[in-house]
Amino acid sequence: MIRYESQRVSLWYMRLALVLFILQVIMGLWLSINYAFTLPQELVDVFPFSTARAIHTNVLVAWMLLGFMGGTYFILPMECNRELYSTKIAYLQLVIFASAAVTAVVGFLFGWTRGKPLLEIPFPLNALIVVAALLFIANVAMTIIQAKEKSALQWMLLGGVTFLALMYLFGMPFYRNLNTDYYYWWWVIHLWVEGAWEIVTASIMAFIIMEVTGVERKVVEKWLYVETGLFLFTGIVGTGHHYYWIGAPDYWLWWGGIFSALEPLPIVLMVVDTWMHVRERKNEIINPLTWYYIVGLAIYHLVGAGLWGFMHTLPPVNYYTHGSQVTVSHGHLAFFGAYALLNLTIFYFALPRMKNIRRYQDRLGKWGFWTTSIAMFTLGLVFGVAGVLQTYLERFLDIGYSTAHLTMMLWFRIAFGVGLIFLLGVVITVWHLLTLKPVQEGASE
Amino acid sequence: MTGKTARLIFWLGTLSSAAIFLWMTYDFHAQTPKLTHTDKLTEEVVAGKKVWHKYNCNDCHTILGFGAYYAPDMTKAFYRLGANNISSIVLHPEVMYRNSFRKMPQMGVTEPEVKQLVAFLQWVGEIENRHWPPQDEKFVEAYKLRESQPQKLEKVHIVMGACGGCHSFEHQGRNVGGDFAIIANRITYDRETLIRYMLDPASVRPGSAMPPQSLSRQTAEVIADFILNLKTGKEVRQ
Repeated sequence: MIRYESQRVSLWYMRLALVLFILQVIMGLWLSINYAFTLPQELVDVFPFSTARAIHTNVLVAWMLLGFMGGTYFILPMECNRELYSTKIAYLQLVIFASAAVTAVVGFLFGWTRGKPLLEIPFPLNALIVVAALLFIANVAMTIIQAKEKSALQWMLLGGVTFLALMYLFGMPFYRNLNTDYYYWWWVIHLWVEGAWEIVTASIMAFIIMEVTGVERKVVEKWLYVETGLFLFTGIVGTGHHYYWIGAPDYWLWWGGIFSALEPLPIVLMVVDTWMHVRERKNEIINPLTWYYIVGLAIYHLVGAGLWGFMHTLPPVNYYTHGSQVTVSHGHLAFFGAYALLNLTIFYFALPRMKNIRRYQDRLGKWGFWTTSIAMFTLGLVFGVAGVLQTYLERFLDIGYSTAHLTMMLWFRIAFGVGLIFLLGVVITVWHLLTLKPVQEGASE
Repeated sequence: MTGKTARLIFWLGTLSSAAIFLWMTYDFHAQTPKLTHTDKLTEEVVAGKKVWHKYNCNDCHTILGFGAYYAPDMTKAFYRLGANNISSIVLHPEVMYRNSFRKMPQMGVTEPEVKQLVAFLQWVGEIENRHWPPQDEKFVEAYKLRESQPQKLEKVHIVMGACGGCHSFEHQGRNVGGDFAIIANRITYDRETLIRYMLDPASVRPGSAMPPQSLSRQTAEVIADFILNLKTGKEVRQ
């Protein structure tokens, strides 16, 4: 049911992303074992927490980007009404990106690292990533330029991925001053997740919603403009909520605090417009599970990124919660709610079409959806409890880091248990996505 | 709302926010020399920052609150631990955390690297970051008091501030070098020898595992009196 042959390039992007998703969660479980139990020194010496954490976070970024790129390659031909500019570039880019990612993970095991959280990969590999990104942007841009009909959505998508790639550059130099280092570190991390990635999300979701619900393009694009405008308005200055305690001027508390408090607004709009479009749909619901993901994404996005982020970044609260397990809670809920669910939504939109399946069997997938969603929400709460406890013990009662962490041990062990359930849900979801089967039309009704 | 209004909202929102942000970035660079004391940002500090990156410290420890949350924040570590303790911990984590529920890996950091790392952490500690993290502010104050007017400090604070990284006393500190109540009753040194021992352990007892302490003579005297008083204190209690 794909309309253009070149859409097929996205298949391998998506498969690789799903494999990395599982690897990421397995690493996460290993990290939680590090927290919950005492490991022997000999083991810690050869495979320290830091290495596992570098893998956990880098694999996260890798599968997110693979999902975005694959998703873009899948929807772009439909949106432009033509084949991709070049499938060869798309495959070449995938090979470069994937080999850089694999080399990075193996390198971490041998201590080959820049030692900068989330941006650990060393310069030669970074250069490869830049090459892959340039190929990708060129391919997307050429496809759009050569399209007969231009649309706001095309430009928004191109703008989003270009913004994304541009920001990555700020993480690459060596900064002598730690505070400047972290100032620009957030240009990558924050302006990604609360800037460029949001634009990519809004664009891809606008397309999928339009395609699935049959709502008019004019309406969808209007929402898209307003949402991305608000995302960038609040998100850019909102970067300031990371600059409270790094040795930056005082006014960041105000500017960062106020703009970041406004950051949930565009997400609220996203929930509203998703809900309205779903209600006013012109098409019948063929695959309920895909709709679960569309609505689930909107709501989870609001809770994890919006609500949790709002509470955590008010300056008087952040003074106590900054750099604690509260951040862990927010990080997990936000990444899962906004971006893991976005990728899974893309996959549930694209993979059945790739296999020519109109209506897929979704019993297993529903189990996967509910297991991962509920387990991750529970995990967020457990980290949240641990974080509030840590804040109280360490920063109000003043009892010291180790004693506080010993007291939090129960919650780390619960997190490990919940993590196991989450892994189960992920395996079910990935398995379901990779082995989609059609419903025998007529037999089920 | 028309499509035109929507487009206007997009460009207005994006450009105004970007303009504010870029202006504040400019100002950030203008103020950074003052707020982070870049005049003290020596080559040794930069070398220390490279050590910090080389051993991927930031993927267990936070610094300025960023990084992984598996181990304590390092922003004010210089004040919390002092140069000696940082060295001992980084060089011999397997000894320092022998009894701990959480281990730190032995990474083979060299002694010159540790010196650079300490210089880096000392410089980081002086960044004017609005007294974050809250729990370490007491160490910063204690350090400054210890430097300027040790006579005003309670003895136990001086002792635990300077020695608590290896020695324990009444459930404070880390017990890898022995508890002061026990040490006090074991040692036979007089006051002068004890002071000499603190400043250069090997000169009194060759082969001692304790590293030389960089203390002022005055602080060493306070600590010596504290320890020797524990001895009589115990006899009185009995």
